[in-house]
This record gives sequence, C-alpha cells and structure tokens, in this order.
Amino acid sequence: MATPTPRVRLPAKAKKGEVIEIKTLISHDMEMGTRKDADGKTIPRKIIKQFVCTFNGKELFKSDWAPGISANPYLSFFAKVNESGTFDFAWHDDDGSVYKTSSKIEVA
Amino acid sequence: MDQRRELDETVNHAAHEDEGRVPRAFGRKGKAPPGSPRPRKAKAVAVAVGAVAGLLIGTFTVEMGRVVGQNRKEAPLALDADASARPWKRYGDWPKANWDKFNTLAKTDASPPPPKTGEVKKIAEAITGDPAQGQKLVFDRSRGGGCLACHAAGQASAGQQVGNVAPDLSEIGNAGRTDEWFYNYIFDARVYNPETVMPPWGAHGFFKDEEIRHMVAFLKTLKTPLQYKTAIDDPNKRPVPKEDRDNLDPMVNPGMWAIDKAKELWVVKGPSGAACAACHANAEAQFKTWAASMPRWEARVNKVLGVEEFVFRHAKATTGHAWLMQSEPNTAIAVYLRHLANGAEIKVDVTSTPAKAAAARGHQIMERKIGQLNFACLDCHNPSKGALKWIRGQWLGESKGQIPHFPTWRTSRLEIWDIRKRFQWCGVAIRADELPPEAAQYGDLELYLTSLNNGLKYNVPGIRH
Repeated sequence: MATPTPRVRLPAKAKKGEVIEIKTLISHDMEMGTRKDADGKTIPRKIIKQFVCTFNGKELFKSDWAPGISANPYLSFFAKVNESGTFDFAWHDDDGSVYKTSSKIEVA
Repeated sequence: MDQRRELDETVNHAAHEDEGRVPRAFGRKGKAPPGSPRPRKAKAVAVAVGAVAGLLIGTFTVEMGRVVGQNRKEAPLALDADASARPWKRYGDWPKANWDKFNTLAKTDASPPPPKTGEVKKIAEAITGDPAQGQKLVFDRSRGGGCLACHAAGQASAGQQVGNVAPDLSEIGNAGRTDEWFYNYIFDARVYNPETVMPPWGAHGFFKDEEIRHMVAFLKTLKTPLQYKTAIDDPNKRPVPKEDRDNLDPMVNPGMWAIDKAKELWVVKGPSGAACAACHANAEAQFKTWAASMPRWEARVNKVLGVEEFVFRHAKATTGHAWLMQSEPNTAIAVYLRHLANGAEIKVDVTSTPAKAAAARGHQIMERKIGQLNFACLDCHNPSKGALKWIRGQWLGESKGQIPHFPTWRTSRLEIWDIRKRFQWCGVAIRADELPPEAAQYGDLELYLTSLNNGLKYNVPGIRH
C-alpha cells in the first residue's frame, strides 16, 4: 500500500456564524486483522484508528475507528465558523504513522 | 509524432538495460528466465533493429493515436495461463444453486426441449383451485421472481411495485379465455407463441400442477382494472431513473479507489523485475484512446480480448505480475486504462474478417434462451420486448448506452463491476450458470455490444445502483 493520500474539501470563504460541510477522504486498505493469506497465516491488522480535526489549534472533531471501518473511508461533518483560520486534519495509523493535511478558510 | 514515440520506446529499452533488469522487448514471444544477462552484442543489435522497426512503423498513418496498418507492434501476451481462477468458482456472495439442467451461453442443449406449437396439455374439465392460495403463489417473489415482476394482477397487487414488461392481468378474468388456455399459458406458453418472453413455469419446474391450478383460479377472479395510489406504484407513470452523480469525484464515487490504486500498482515491480512504468512511464499521454478500441479480436488467443483479460496476459508477459481477472489489482488497472480514455469515442473494429464473425456471433448470442427462466438478452434489452420498461422496481436499459459507464461502482454491491461480471450476473439472475469471465462467448457479446455503442464516449468509473 502506498502512502495514503488524504483529501479534504471545504469552502475557501464563509460568513461569520455559517455552518459549513467539511468532506474528507483518505485512501487506505484497512487490513482488519482477521484475514488469512495463501499460507494460512493471519494478515496483521493495520487500520487507521483515529481521525482528528483541529481548528486554529483547538480540537473540533475526533473519531475512534475499529476494524469494521470501510477501506478508503469518506467522512463528512459540519462545523460552525466564527473566525478565519486553518483546519488541520490527522489520520492516525495502527503503525504509528500520521497522515496530515490542512485547509485554510476566510471568514468575513 | 508517431515516429518519435516508437523511437522513444526503443531508447527506453536501452536505458533500462543498464539497471541489470531487462523488460521484455516488444513482439518477443516465449519466456526468458528472469534476470538473465543480455550479451552486449545482442543488446546493440536489438536496439538497432528496434530503431529500424520504429522507423518502419512510423511510416504508417496515425489515426486517433493508434498505428493503423498491418505491422502494428504487438503487445506481448502470456498465452500459457488461465486468465481467471481455476477451477472457476462462483463468487461467494452470489446465489449458490447450480443450474446445470438448463442452457447457458456455452451450452445450448441442456434445457428440456421446447414443445411443438399447438402441443397443448388438454384440460377437459373446469379447473378447481383456491384463489387465495393462487394469489399467494402469483405474488411470491421466491418463485423465480414471480408473476408481479412483469405483470400487474389486480387491486391487491397495486402496492407491490409491479412491472410492466408484460400485459396488465387485472381484467384477464373477463377476457373470454378457457381454463385450458390459462393452464397452458402458465405451464409453457411456447405452445401458443414460440417467440414468447414468458418463462415456462411448469415445464421448467417452478410450479407444480396443483399450484398452477390455484393460480388459474385466482386469475379467473381478476375482472376490474386496478387503481394505483401513487405515481411510484404505477409502472407506467414511475419516473425513469436518471444518473446525475458526479462519478469522477472521489468524494461521490467510491469506485474512484481504482484510480489511486492503479497509479500505485503502476510502479510496483513484478517477479521479472519490471513495473508497468518501465515501458509506460506516461500512461496519461499514451492511453488517451486505447481503451476505446477494445475489445478486439486477438488471433493469439483465437477469441475477442477484453481489457481485463488483456491486463492479465500483458502484465504477466512483461512484468510477471499475475493479476487474475476479477482480482483487485486487475480491476484497478482495467478501470484506470478505460478512465484514461474518458471522452474518447468508442470505436471497435467489426469489419475485419474475424471481428465481423465474432460480432455476428455476439448478436446471435443475444437471441439465445438460457437458464431456468428461459430468457434471452433481447427479451429484456430490446425495446420491442422488455427494454425501457420495469421489472418490479428495476428499470431495464437498452443495449446502447450501457457500455460507456463500465466498469462501474455498484452502490448496491459496494464493489466495482466490469462488463464481464455484469454478464455473469445476468446469467445467474435468470438461473443460468455463469461462464468464467474470459469465456469466448462473453468476448463475442462484449464486441457486439460495444459496436452498438460506437461513437459514444467512455465515462469511467461509472456509479450506479
């Protein structure tokens, strides 16, 4: 599996107090840990176990994931924005890797 | 432009040989042991021959990015392996029954032979049966889909999402039909109409004699037109499904996983030491129209070769990757290759002699009755029969307009289906055993169907229910 590609989509501009939709997508095979390979050996679990979104450094949305999580998961959520700033997104892998991306928003 | 591309390919060969691992030269048949060293002299000769060949090939006209002419460079194909898993086993999440007593696209003599026209079962006395039992049987989905898949059958059926492929039976009790006619029409309608779409419910073992008598008793009670409550209930008013999702947005179409995955696989070296990228470093530029010319007749396999089988045979011959049809890597690359031809007009060859014969076979295949339900493709997909009508809640499309969105993500299956998997399901859904995905019959069918779509543009991966 290549390094997972995170994608994020949210409006570049919004009005103060507006509720915006934040769409996120990451490519990841999400190995459950229960499948066996051709030799009968269990393929070790390797999933993204946590997703965190912060805004201007403050935690906004956090989600813990278990082996039932979809491969290449699409997650969207809504946030009320009152000031301009930067959303930071982090996906935490079982193996310790963290996949990150950011997106700025201008709030008038 | 084409001359330069051919020369660039030979130059790339020389460059990669310096890495000690050799991608197979174009057109070379047979297998070299992996990693075998190439003597310097042979290398120089090979490069020189390649350059001359490139010049020769370059003198042919370029049409839509393909070289047209007798000496088109042939992509290496592994001819010594089966392109799908052996033994072929039906997908684990599909119905498990086997229907070896009925025709498939490969077996035309398995089903019970049809009756002669007029060879009716004589029913002398009036049929006695229980209309309530009969209604249960007529409405029963588990009997091969049941009557309501195609027929409305009285007021009690108005809320059952009935289909309209076949006549509304709500007033059939007033149509002056004899009990013998009712019985035989259900048992095997071919005695009255050899061209009928109606499955032979008795002759093919869906319903027993006593059950058919109950159904006849029920049908004889149907004497008033039904009233639908809503437009959705009425198959003649139901809005036709229109696909308007943005299928190329990865946040809308989960099927776009294939594009990411294909790009990742493109640079993975196989057992013979090469990756796709060794010869196809710039896939985006090279494959702008390739997939639009597929499937094509391929003499080396003596049948029509589709994209998915091509991917298996070509990848195996050049990189050693054994990406079997219907596997995740094969699906990803096949989707990717078509995706790169999005917007290109479909243009498959059906004029050269073997291709023309294959397309003619494909056309004939669409008329072949298969399965316990005894359907031919055209029974559902020709507008003079079932196309542009409803089977229960499912809209039947015509033959033209489907191919451009295959392979497609299926939201009802949470996976990508290519056209061969679609053909396999069409069989299983009408209770006919499917063939392995690389079957010659599927190739003929795919070529014929694609030719009906010549001129339309690919839009892959699609997204559908």
